[in-house]
Amino acid sequence: MRRLGLAAAAALLGAAGLLWAASPAPRAKAPRVPQRIVSINLCADQLVLALADKGQIAGLTKNATDAEMSGEAAKAQGIPQLSNSAEQILAIEPDLIVGMPASRSAALSALPEQTYPLLDLDTANTLGGIYASIRQTAVAIGHPERGDALVARMEGELAGLPKPGRGRVAAYYQRRGYMTGTGTLIDELMMRVGLVNLAGKLGKPPLSQLSIEEMVAAQPDYLIVESATDKVTDQGSEMLHHPALKDIPRISMPQAWTVCGSPAYTQAARSMAAQIVRLDGGRS
Amino acid sequence: MNRFAPPRWSLIAALAALALVAAVASLLFGAVDLSVARLFAAATGSGDKVASIILFDLRLPRTVLALAVGAMLGLAGAALQGYLRNPLAEPSVLGTSNAAALGGVAAIYFGLAEIHPIILPLLATGGALVSLALLFVLAGKAESPLTLILAGIAVGTLAVAGTSLALNLSPNPFAAMEIMTWLLGSLENRSFDHVWIALPCIAIGAAMLLWNGRALDALTLGEDAAQALGTDLQKTRLRLLIGTAIGVGGAVAVTGAIGFVGLIVPHLIRPLTDRSPSAILLPSAIGGAALLTLADLGVRIIPTTNELKLGVVTAFLGVPVFLVHLMRERRLW
Repeated sequence: MRRLGLAAAAALLGAAGLLWAASPAPRAKAPRVPQRIVSINLCADQLVLALADKGQIAGLTKNATDAEMSGEAAKAQGIPQLSNSAEQILAIEPDLIVGMPASRSAALSALPEQTYPLLDLDTANTLGGIYASIRQTAVAIGHPERGDALVARMEGELAGLPKPGRGRVAAYYQRRGYMTGTGTLIDELMMRVGLVNLAGKLGKPPLSQLSIEEMVAAQPDYLIVESATDKVTDQGSEMLHHPALKDIPRISMPQAWTVCGSPAYTQAARSMAAQIVRLDGGRS
Repeated sequence: MNRFAPPRWSLIAALAALALVAAVASLLFGAVDLSVARLFAAATGSGDKVASIILFDLRLPRTVLALAVGAMLGLAGAALQGYLRNPLAEPSVLGTSNAAALGGVAAIYFGLAEIHPIILPLLATGGALVSLALLFVLAGKAESPLTLILAGIAVGTLAVAGTSLALNLSPNPFAAMEIMTWLLGSLENRSFDHVWIALPCIAIGAAMLLWNGRALDALTLGEDAAQALGTDLQKTRLRLLIGTAIGVGGAVAVTGAIGFVGLIVPHLIRPLTDRSPSAILLPSAIGGAALLTLADLGVRIIPTTNELKLGVVTAFLGVPVFLVHLMRERRLW
C-alpha cells in the first residue's frame, strides 16, 4: 500500500517536472515584460504594486497587505505572499526578483544557483532617490512610460505644496522615545514643509533615544507621531501619551507613508502641511 | 532579644529620614540638569513651564511610585518571611511578582485594560493570588525551607514563560522590548495615572499585612502554640494571601516585576530590631521605600545609552544577600 502511494507520488512529480520543463522559461536574461515578478522587500512591494500590472506579480512579502505598513496594501489583495523562503521562490520560478538589494537576500543565497534576473534597488532617503527607484523599477518591469508618468504626477502634487512650518521645530517621536534624525526621509519631509528637525538641532544621530524629560526641556513646536501610536496598546506607545507631553501640538502620520521611499511620499508631505495649517488655525 | 537593638521608634525615624533624603534627591536629579533654584521656584508655583512640567508631571509621580512600590515590596517580604518562617521568602523569589506581571500583560496586550482602568490591577492581583495559592498548595506543609523556594521557582518560571508567550501571541510587533520591561521592572515614564492605579492597591495590601503582626509573632512558637494563644490561623493566612496579592499586584501592574527588594530589606533591618516578625514589618516598609527610590536614582544617574532597568540594579544588590543565606543553609542540603 505504502509503496504504491510512493510510486503514485513519484509519477505525479515526474509529470509536474515534464510540464515545468515544457514551459518556455528563458532564465538568464530578463524578458522585456516579466510575467512572474517576485518582490522580497516591503518597500519594493510598493513600487512593484504601483507600476506593474497585477497579473505580472507572482509574489510579495508577508507584510504587503498590512495597511499599517504599506501605502499600496489595498492593491496587494489576492497576490500570493511569501515568507521569504527559498523553496517558495524556487516553486514560482520568477522571471524578475526585486529587492533592496535583491542580491544580498538570505533566501536567494540559499538557492543552488542564482540564475534569476535581479533588480537591486537602493534605500531611498530623498525624493530624488524615490524618483530614481520608480524609474528603475518601471524599466525593469517593462513599462518605462509608467515610471515617467508616476514621477510627473508626484512632481505635480508637490509643486503647489506650501511651507507652513516657517522654521519651527518638530520632533519625530516614536514609541519608547526613539527620535528620527537627519539624513532620513522624515527629515526631508520636515524640510519640505518648512519645519526644522529637533534631532538636527540637538546634533543627534539618525536614530536616537530622547527621554520625555529631555523632550519637555527641548520644547519643540510640534511632535510628529505615527498614527499607530494614537491609541495606547502597550508600554511603548503609552509613553507618547504621558501628560507631560500633552501641551505640545501633534502631527499624526501613518507609518505606511514614511517607512519606505514610495509614491506615498506626496501624501505624507501634503498631510503634514495640512495638519500644520490646521493646528495653526486652531491656536490663533 | 538583641541587646544592641535601638528603640523601635528611633529606627523608624532614621529610616524615614533616609527615605525622605532619597525622595528629595529623586526630585532633584534626572535626565535634564535643572538648578535647585529653578526647581524650587517651580515647586512654589512661580517657576517656568518646563521646570514645573518636569517636576510635577515627571519626577513627582516617579518618586511617589518608587516610595510606594518599594514600601509594598519590603513589607511583603517581611510578612512572607515571618509567616513562612523562611528567610528567603519574598514576592519575586516565590514567583508572585512574575505572576502579577503575567496578569498585567494579559490586561494590556489583549486590550482588556482599555475597557476600564480597574481591569489592569485586577488581573495583576488575580495573577498574584493564583500564584500564591498554588505555592501554598505545593509547599504549604513542607518541613524543609527548600521545598518552598523550589515551588516558588516553578511558579515563577511558569509565569515568566506565560508572559513571554502572551506577548508573542498578542498582535504586537515590539514584543521583545516589552517582555524585558515587564520582567525587569522600570519606573521610567510613569505618570499620575499610574500612581492612582497603584496607590489604592498598595494602601489596602499594606494595611492587611501590618494587621498580621501579632499573629506572626505567635507563629514563631509554632502553629499549635499560636492557635493556643488565640491566633486564627485561617484568617491570618487569608489576610496574608490577599494583602500580598493586592499590594504586589497593584505595584507590578504599573512597574513590572522588580526583584529582590523584599529579600534585601528585611535582612538589613532584622539585626537592628529584636528579630520578632512584627518588629520588622513597618521598618521594612520604610526601608523598602528608601531602597527602591535610591535604586531608581542610580538607574537615572549611571550613564548608559538606554536607561538601565530597575530590576538589574536590585538584582545586583539582592543576589549577594541570597547567596549569604544559601551558604548558611547549605548544611540542610
